[in-house]
Amino acid sequence: MDQLSDVLTAISHPVRRAIIGQLANGPARFLDVAEPHDMALNAVTKHLKLLERAGLIERERRGREVMISFRAEPLKQVAGWVHEYERFWNERLDEFEQHFRKMKKEKRAR
Amino acid sequence: MKTIEVRVERIISAPPDEVFDAWLDPGVPGNPWNAAEKVVLDAKVDGLFYWNLSGISHYGRFTGMERPHRMEHTWVSPNTLGMESTVTVTFEKKGEDTRMTLVHSGLPDTEEAKGHEKGWNYFLDVLREQFGSGSRRNYCWDEAHPEGK
Repeated sequence: MDQLSDVLTAISHPVRRAIIGQLANGPARFLDVAEPHDMALNAVTKHLKLLERAGLIERERRGREVMISFRAEPLKQVAGWVHEYERFWNERLDEFEQHFRKMKKEKRAR
Repeated sequence: MKTIEVRVERIISAPPDEVFDAWLDPGVPGNPWNAAEKVVLDAKVDGLFYWNLSGISHYGRFTGMERPHRMEHTWVSPNTLGMESTVTVTFEKKGEDTRMTLVHSGLPDTEEAKGHEKGWNYFLDVLREQFGSGSRRNYCWDEAHPEGK
């Protein structure tokens, strides 16, 4: 798979997004990453492997401990994947559509 | 220069003439003029528009106006790198509703025009919402990745 697919896969699971959220506060040890999640340690390891494959985390050995840190760079691919005008017009038209839906509801209520 | 086009479609719950008029009314939420801090709008063929949002100016000229089926205008902004892009909006009757299709073509396909930085900030906002907005967290994120600003 290409890296964009790896990144999208990585952020498609709530546990992995929560891990990114934890690591955005700064690097952490494996057990600290695993601690808030009510799951087996090898399940956490699987999630970390997917994040690592996407390049979103890095492991670094510091003495006896392995520190896991977050790398935001690959997320830029996701941001650049949607053209700015695609986002702009989608936002505008969502609001426009919503306006008419609301007007229709109000008309019915009268 | 290589260009690309963006296509967006919606079903709007009103007949085409109402939808067409609303698209040109700065008082209606959702059309591009509504978001602006200052608007000049002369919606007729060869009429010009100007609108400004957060210090970014957009200019254009209406090149087609066939109420209630279709309108077309040019669109020039920093994101088009000063080039004239084209916005075509069509309104098709679909039962009691309108199928509205907006095609924005002639957009320069460069990294700069893709608005990477803005897209990046947008994505960060989504993440911040997802993770809550603790000030320490935002601080750390920005500090760790100042290029994302």
